[in-house]
Amino acid sequence: MATHVIMPKVDMDQETGTIVEWTRKNGDAVEKGEIIIIIETDKVAIDIESPATGILQGIRAEPAEIVPIGETIAYILEPGEQLPNEPESQDHDVSDSSQPAAVEPAINAIDVDATPVAHNIAKFHAMELSTIVGTGPQDRITKRDVQAALATKSSQVSEPERVYATPSAKRIARERGLNLNSIMGSGPGSRIQAADVLRVKESLVDVSPASSDGAKVVPLEGIRRTIAERMMVSYQSTPHITFTVKVDMSRFNEVRKQFNTKAEGSNQHKISATALLIKAVAWALKRHPYLNSSFQDDRIHLFSEINIGVAVALENGLIVPVVHNAIQKGIGEIATELNDLVIRARQGQLMPSDVSGGTFTISNLGPFGIEQFTAIINHPQAAILAVGVTQPEVVADSNEQIALRPIMRMTLSADHRVVDGAIVAFFINDLRHALEAPELLLW
Amino acid sequence: MTTREIRYLEAVREAMIQEMEQDETIFLIGEDIGAYGGAFQVTHGMMEKFGPERILDTPITEMGITGAAVGSAMLSMRPIAEIMFMDFVTLASEQLVNQAAKIRFMFGGNATVPMVLRTPAGSGVGGSAQHSQSLENWFVHIPGLKVVMPSTPYDAKGLLIASIRDDNPVVYVEHKLLYKMKGAVPEESYTIPLGSADVKREGRDLTIVATSIMVKRSLDAAEQLAAEGIEVEVIDPRTLKPLDTETIIQSVIKSGRLLIVHEAAKTGGFGSEICSVIAESEAFGYLDAPIVRLAGRDIPIPYNRNLEYHAVPQVEDIVEKACDLVKARI
Repeated sequence: MATHVIMPKVDMDQETGTIVEWTRKNGDAVEKGEIIIIIETDKVAIDIESPATGILQGIRAEPAEIVPIGETIAYILEPGEQLPNEPESQDHDVSDSSQPAAVEPAINAIDVDATPVAHNIAKFHAMELSTIVGTGPQDRITKRDVQAALATKSSQVSEPERVYATPSAKRIARERGLNLNSIMGSGPGSRIQAADVLRVKESLVDVSPASSDGAKVVPLEGIRRTIAERMMVSYQSTPHITFTVKVDMSRFNEVRKQFNTKAEGSNQHKISATALLIKAVAWALKRHPYLNSSFQDDRIHLFSEINIGVAVALENGLIVPVVHNAIQKGIGEIATELNDLVIRARQGQLMPSDVSGGTFTISNLGPFGIEQFTAIINHPQAAILAVGVTQPEVVADSNEQIALRPIMRMTLSADHRVVDGAIVAFFINDLRHALEAPELLLW
Repeated sequence: MTTREIRYLEAVREAMIQEMEQDETIFLIGEDIGAYGGAFQVTHGMMEKFGPERILDTPITEMGITGAAVGSAMLSMRPIAEIMFMDFVTLASEQLVNQAAKIRFMFGGNATVPMVLRTPAGSGVGGSAQHSQSLENWFVHIPGLKVVMPSTPYDAKGLLIASIRDDNPVVYVEHKLLYKMKGAVPEESYTIPLGSADVKREGRDLTIVATSIMVKRSLDAAEQLAAEGIEVEVIDPRTLKPLDTETIIQSVIKSGRLLIVHEAAKTGGFGSEICSVIAESEAFGYLDAPIVRLAGRDIPIPYNRNLEYHAVPQVEDIVEKACDLVKARI
């Protein structure tokens, strides 16, 4: 029997996936577990393994195509077998995937006491009956209970916004691949008219490669679109305040050197400056929980974990893998984990769990020679640390003598709704002290 | 072809005379059509020309007129029945709807009913509620009947000759206000095929589909709109059944906007049918505004001349609605 290769659900809030590349083609013999396709969610690119051994056939989605999860994208056939003849958009249980799919609730466990019609309605709407309180005899779940639960559910789910446009405007937008959501309507009640869509088309044409300055237009896709959207949200919704301090990295460098001598001797990973920085930041966050928080729904949520994300530059954007529970990890463990994350980030091998759950972010542009910069907060976190290059500078030492010291400038951007200047100052001074005297990390 | 300007009623008369001259099976039957020459003088002089055997004056009995027409048509005659006011097709409906429309089908084609029922519809002459109605859509709804509604002298002649020659019963709806309209009409006999619409004026901004007197009012409106830079396309279906949908669909695809104008009451009127044709067609995807119907108010036509005037669409109403549509105000 033909095995369906479906667009897998690899992330909790994922609805679609983009085909990046088929690593095998139609007619290829594939082994179960062999990588046959690379897909991309809005967070990561991920390799997908063949769910069966057989012949790959009937590839239905081309690279760059966006496919809803659960949709069949190809088949694995047994030798001599024909492609099944089915409608294009047949849904399959997402848990069929050989990939680490999010755990879906088991629907309608038989031991739940419910009326047949309640079972049917719940099944149709994919509702879990065990979450519904029954009001019938012996607490049996009735049709009314399911309908009430459905009504609550639907009132929680926000309806996708409908576009108010004339049929003509919709047709033109569809033909030209334009998104009506971004078009202002000039008709009654702001209805989008055909002319409004045509105007957009004209303005796009103005900056196309055909224009005299030869500008190239790059469509916003995948990770680039995600970055664009999230940066815009953060910058527009969060009042940023920024603070810069100068840090003498002499002791930091000495300690790191000692660690690395030790690591080399025991064949362990070298301790990168970023790894040690993570350790220090986690230590400071533990003392200042408001910097490890999130402003959401008019409330400040103080995170219980300290999960530190590190921005890693990629060819087409950047990604922020997360070192989870940094406060509980030793420096060697952090260094090993970070090393693995960065390598996998550059290879596009990160899993969704590697990039989720961050509570604070570090962006280190020191290796690029940047002295000082400010970063946009990684929404919905409350703060981000922008780390500059460490380089020798002439300073006055504690004896007011001119000295040459390795100096690093770091800038913290914080959400002013959550913290005021003084709180940030306390945090950043504690962090500076820890970097200037790493033994404080034992405190 | 030699053409000259004649009136709409003269074009109707000429069509009948020319057909009667070359086909002896054709005869007229109706009230006051002989000696009196017709309530609107359409058959004036025909009694003298063809005699009382072929121009039959009847008592006031619409059912009798129509029943005689149906029966004689089944027996190889080609009758032209006149109902003096369309309002009284109510009395003729049994013969028209239950007999004329059904016979060819029920007898497997062994009998045909090649008759024409001519009748003037419409308000505007102070005829009040019982002498002013436009009831064409009743018959559009009856399979087996054809419905013709000429709006010009030229169309009146060509469509009537085609109707007379058609082997099916045809309801041929004239308009009282159009009888005196003058237009170029060829002297020779000619036909206009039933089921072909006519683009009376070309334009790119708005399609108006209008019937009967509303074609003339729409053309007058289009003239005024052109002065404002609005180019209106006016389409006259000419026959409501069979309907030339393709011409209308293509026009809406071109203009993206549709205004339907008829005199009959709006609710359940023929405009609903045109509207549905477009909604179901490929033209739907080209609509850039709601489809608008401009039609008679849902009231009996009043006797008072001012009220009568405002009971049905007038040129200024068409201009206003057309502007609203083209300027995206609705």
